Amino acid sequence: MSEVQVRGLTVEYQTSAGWLPAVAEASLDLRAGEITGLVGESGSGKSTLALSLLNAVPAPGRIAGGTIDVAGVGDLTRLTGKQLRKARGGSIGYVFQASQNSLNPLKTIGKQLLDLGRSHEVADLRALIARALDLANRMGLDGQRVLDSYQHELSGGMRQRIGIVFALVLNAKVLILDEPTTALDMLSQASVLEIVRKVHDENQLSTLIITHDIGAISEIADRLAVMYGGRIVEDGPLLEVLRRPTHPYTKALIGATARITGDVEAARALPGRPPDLTTVARVGCVFRDRCPFAVAVCAEAEPPLAAWEGERRRACHVEPTTVLAGTPAAVGEPA
Amino acid sequence: MATATATLAASARRRRPALAAFRKAVTRKPGRLIGLIIIVFFVLMGICGPWFYGRLAVDPNALYAPPSAKHWLGTDFAGSDVLQEVVTGARYVLATAALSAFFTSLFGVTIGLVAGYQRGVTDSILMRLTDFVLTIPGLPLLIILSTVWSFGSPWQMGLVLGITGWGGVARAVRAQALSLRERGFLEAARGLGLSRRHIIFKEMLPNIAPYATMQLMLSMIAFVGAEVGLFFLGLVPFSSTNWGVMLNQAVFSGGAMETPDALIYLLAPLVCILVLTLGIVLFLDAIDELFNPRLRERA
Amino acid sequence: MTGFARRLAGKLLTGLVMVWVVVTFTFFLVHALPGKPGDVQYEQYIMSGMTADQASAKVQAIYGFTSHDSLLAQYGGYLGKLAHGDLGQSISYSGVPVSHLIWSALPWTVIPVLSGLLVSFLIGVVAGIVAAVKRSSRWGGLLTVSGSLVAGVPAFVLALLLLVVFHTEWNLLPDAGTSDIQYDPGWNLPYIGSVVQHAVLPVCAYALLSYGGWLLAMKSSVVSVLGDDFILASELRGIAPVTRARYIGRNAILPLFTVLALSFGVMFAGSFFIEDTFDYPGLGDLLLKSIGTRDYPVMAGAFLLITVSIIVANIIADLCYTLIDPRVRR
Repeated sequence: MSEVQVRGLTVEYQTSAGWLPAVAEASLDLRAGEITGLVGESGSGKSTLALSLLNAVPAPGRIAGGTIDVAGVGDLTRLTGKQLRKARGGSIGYVFQASQNSLNPLKTIGKQLLDLGRSHEVADLRALIARALDLANRMGLDGQRVLDSYQHELSGGMRQRIGIVFALVLNAKVLILDEPTTALDMLSQASVLEIVRKVHDENQLSTLIITHDIGAISEIADRLAVMYGGRIVEDGPLLEVLRRPTHPYTKALIGATARITGDVEAARALPGRPPDLTTVARVGCVFRDRCPFAVAVCAEAEPPLAAWEGERRRACHVEPTTVLAGTPAAVGEPA
Repeated sequence: MATATATLAASARRRRPALAAFRKAVTRKPGRLIGLIIIVFFVLMGICGPWFYGRLAVDPNALYAPPSAKHWLGTDFAGSDVLQEVVTGARYVLATAALSAFFTSLFGVTIGLVAGYQRGVTDSILMRLTDFVLTIPGLPLLIILSTVWSFGSPWQMGLVLGITGWGGVARAVRAQALSLRERGFLEAARGLGLSRRHIIFKEMLPNIAPYATMQLMLSMIAFVGAEVGLFFLGLVPFSSTNWGVMLNQAVFSGGAMETPDALIYLLAPLVCILVLTLGIVLFLDAIDELFNPRLRERA
Repeated sequence: MTGFARRLAGKLLTGLVMVWVVVTFTFFLVHALPGKPGDVQYEQYIMSGMTADQASAKVQAIYGFTSHDSLLAQYGGYLGKLAHGDLGQSISYSGVPVSHLIWSALPWTVIPVLSGLLVSFLIGVVAGIVAAVKRSSRWGGLLTVSGSLVAGVPAFVLALLLLVVFHTEWNLLPDAGTSDIQYDPGWNLPYIGSVVQHAVLPVCAYALLSYGGWLLAMKSSVVSVLGDDFILASELRGIAPVTRARYIGRNAILPLFTVLALSFGVMFAGSFFIEDTFDYPGLGDLLLKSIGTRDYPVMAGAFLLITVSIIVANIIADLCYTLIDPRVRR
């Protein structure tokens, strides 16, 4: 059973060249008790996708099509006004990057929690604070002290954890984390990931983690989804995708990640640059320019995201066996 | 060992795209083009205006005459043509503003650059000095100075305004210089063995110039206000007419407040000041966008 | 000592040092003026028949020193008198203490200035918020330009324009003086009514002076805060709109304290023109008149008071900021 079902989501931005899609026909399921990692480079549209899950795409963008069904709430793309506002935070919690100042610098954390409670018309504010303290303490913070502090008195890691508290204190069942490990040092990264996993398990959440760091996400994710050029090109159970990537991009991404063991030389960068909104291909597969397996049909028709082997999906014209078997011998050169 | 005379900041390379960017910034909003036109109009008036007129004629038979074909804006309390006074008065106002800008930047930029470059004791001393100049309120000081020094000519007025007003520029320039320092600019130059004078004038100055220019254009408005104001208050002797003088005469000698006849004499320079200020403000919008691309709103 | 008390002490100390510097500066300024202060008076008194001692004493009373003492002694005498609040005596109003003149002139400057400041703050801040929220629309842009224009136009131009429109053309409001002559000063209604009527235009002129500054500062501050992460975060957390507005408002108002500090300087500078145009007997007018009569003690006293007021106002604004922004407190 999915907490969140995304179908055919298209998000556009207005540019000098008209309305261009940043996310095109995306479909994704977030299931209860699962952590899904959404991996992609900058410009892949992953942050836009995350924001659209809250129907909060900033101007000059808009959701142009598709549905986002959240269990117990309905289609978020149809919600407006107070209902939408309640869903944000009440049903879906969003956690910002550690480097961002996601809290009002002029008020203490505790007062802002009360604001949150009042905004969501929480009847028992005391219980809210108690829950916040509990969450904070479980994450290794001195709850009371943090609640009496101002944002600038907290370190990056502490802010990250408080962000998680804010996202969960209203008992949301869906948690979205935007680049939780970026801007943190290695030790903090590890502890944050550990905390996310723990909190997720304790509350049986549906968690989505947006990141560009495959290595970090592999520590705790259950499923992996890969984005490129505004499309989801592959997804499936984490270990399956990592061990047997059936999309050329996924394969290249994994290949480009340096391992802690083994030869550094083995990591191969993918030539070329990821496209952004304005440079992404309008016809055919968005990855074909950099794909070592591209064939003629790739330039003509965009491959649909189709099911394959149980829980896996891939969007590629080339046969999975070919991708699995072939080593990109001549990297960057189309087949 | 080749002497490196090429500057690290490749200002020459930047010149052509800068012109194109300038044109684009100005034409983006119609207001800015209007502003530029206004400024050019007044500058031309200041430069060429007096050429069209001889000496100011006095006509005792036509005091405060209403506008007519002979006198487009009527006459003043002595029968002189108001239009002529406005046009010839522009030269003084603009010349003084330009000279004030010159002196202010001379003192302010130099001190700011040196303070930002040297740091240490020199910087502290210069900054204390700047703070002092900034604390003493300019206008009261100018008023008191007017008792000892009659700075009537554009050069003198410009010098005095420059002496009292360089504080803000110095502080801003120093801040820019310090940020250049952060960007490793100066260390690179020192590493290449460039002389201190070269660094200050050939490396730092071109990078600070755009910001300083913008600040100066802003302060032009204040300079115009200050000089016209000083004449209006009757604190400075005048040899020829200018807008401030006209205002002073109109209000205090001509009773323009009471008689509607003298109104044009009052309004003409007033409107000129307003329009000139408007022109500078509109045009500054374009300059602001050039140097602050972050402020550009999404099309 | 708590952090705040320490900061307060530090600022007061800096302020005192600045005041001392200004006092010294004023002293030397007065000395630089033509006719060694005191000498002219001394000669006059001798000529009018006073003995040398009497003349000396009189000059001493006016200036706090005589030109016969050494410069250092003069300086010391000057400082000593200042410490007692004695600014000397006026020359043109013979025998009247300068502090007395300043004291009676002060309200006519301070009250209109503060009123104008309040009015312009209220209107300017609201306009700034509108200009920020609607900044991509034509109205927003127009509002911004109007703010810049008003901010750039010199004070007396504004004052004159007001006069021309409301007095010369429409004859709605009076042009000179603080009240009609027929009313006796005092706490009676007709007098107060007349004072208010005469004060409308000057207060408007003062308000126009700083309106532009408030508008532009508030607009830029709101635009900047709107782009801050925590504003987006508050939206994503479902914070109620009213609460969000309060978040934005309080964060945006904060930088305006620096504008407040600057405004005092602008206001005092404007007071010269506004009081001159409207014939208001305030501090600026006092200074101008004393220039005309070469009344050096009054000149020095007025200049000193204006400068010190600006310094004090700056310190107060600075302290208020420290009180409100928790990032600066420790």
